[in-house]
Amino acid sequence: MGNLFGRKSPPSRVTEQDKAILQLKQQRDKLKQYQKRITLQLEKERLLAKQLLKDGKKEKALLLLKKKRYQDQLLDKTEHQISNLECMVQDIEFMQIEMKVIEGLKVGNDCLKSMHQIMSIENVERILDETQESIEYQRQIDEMLAGALTQEDEDAVLAELEAITQGEDVVLPEVPTEPLPEVPEAAKAEPERKEAKKAEREMLAV
Amino acid sequence: MSFEWPWQYNFPPFFTLQPNVDTRQKQLAAWCSLALSYCRHHKLYTLDVMEAQESPMFNNKKIERKLSMEAIQVVFEELRKKGNLEWLDKNKSRCLVMWRRPEEWGKLIYQWVSKNGMVNSVFTLYELSNGDDTEGEEFHGLEEWMLLRSLQALQTDGKAEVITMDDGKGVKFF
Repeated sequence: MGNLFGRKSPPSRVTEQDKAILQLKQQRDKLKQYQKRITLQLEKERLLAKQLLKDGKKEKALLLLKKKRYQDQLLDKTEHQISNLECMVQDIEFMQIEMKVIEGLKVGNDCLKSMHQIMSIENVERILDETQESIEYQRQIDEMLAGALTQEDEDAVLAELEAITQGEDVVLPEVPTEPLPEVPEAAKAEPERKEAKKAEREMLAV
Repeated sequence: MSFEWPWQYNFPPFFTLQPNVDTRQKQLAAWCSLALSYCRHHKLYTLDVMEAQESPMFNNKKIERKLSMEAIQVVFEELRKKGNLEWLDKNKSRCLVMWRRPEEWGKLIYQWVSKNGMVNSVFTLYELSNGDDTEGEEFHGLEEWMLLRSLQALQTDGKAEVITMDDGKGVKFF
C-alpha cells in the first residue's frame, strides 16, 4: 500500500524494545487462549461428572474430578504466567519512558552547556568593561558637545543658581522698605543687601 | 435488537430482477443497502454466496421468495463496484464485505487508543480484536484481515506501524 510508485517508506519507528514487547504480548495472547480452552473444558467436565454421578458411575466421576483438579491447577499456573508476562511488559514500557526522560534531560543539559560556553566569565567581564568604556566615551563626547565647561565654570553656575533661588525668596513676600531706626546694625546692613541685589539683576540681564 | 427489514423485503417482485433499467437501478440500490445493513447488524465480514442465499438476507421464508444466484451475483458485483465488497476467489463464491471502510475502522481504533492513553504502545492484533480491554468497543471481534487493513490505512497516515514477526502480527500506534 502506498508504495505503488516506488515512494520510499520512512524509516521504521519500531524499536527492538517494541518487538520484544510484542513478543511478550503474543505469548500472553497464546496463554489467554489456552486459558479459555481449559476453562471451557472444565465446565464441560463438570457437567459430565454430574451426569456420571446421576448414572451411578461414581468411580468414573471421581477420576474425572481428579483430572479436573489437575486442570484447575494448570489454570492457576497459567494465570500466574500471564501476570508475569504482563509485569515484564510494563517494566519494559516504563523503562522506555525513563529512557525518554533521560534523553530529555540530556538535551536540556547540552543546551544549557552550550549557552554557558557563549556566556563565559571572561566574556562577561570583557563585555562589562567595554560597556564601562563606552559609557566613559559617551560622557566625554557629551562634555565636548555641551561646550566643555570646566570645574570652575560649574562652580560659578552653581553659585548663580544659589543666588537666584535666594533672590526669589526675598522678592516674593512684601517686605517693608523703611529702615527701622531703633536698630542701627540693621540699617547698616540694608545698603549692602541692596547692592547685592543690584548685582544679581545685572547678572540676570546678561 | 432485531434487524429491521426494509419494506421491499416483504414485496415479492423485489426478489426478481426487474427488466426496466430505472426500476432495476433502484432495486439494486435497495438490495445493496439491505445487504450492507444486514452484515453490519450481524457483524459479518466474510460471506459465502451459497450460505448467503440460504440466510434470511436473501431468503424471505415468510413470503417464500429468495433471490436467485444470478441476481445475488449482480448485487454483489454492484457492491464491489462501490468498494464495499471484494471477492476472495476467482469463482466468486466467497467474498469480503466492508460495510465500514478500513479508514473508518482505523479512525475508530485510533480514537480508542488515544482515549485510553495508549499511543506509543505495542499491541497484538489478537489483543485488539479479542482482548478484554476492547470488550464493548465496536471493533471487538473484527476479523483479522479487516483489522489489518484498517491498521494499514492508519499506517499510510503515519499513525501506526504494523510489525510482522515470525508468528503473528502486531501494531504500534503513534
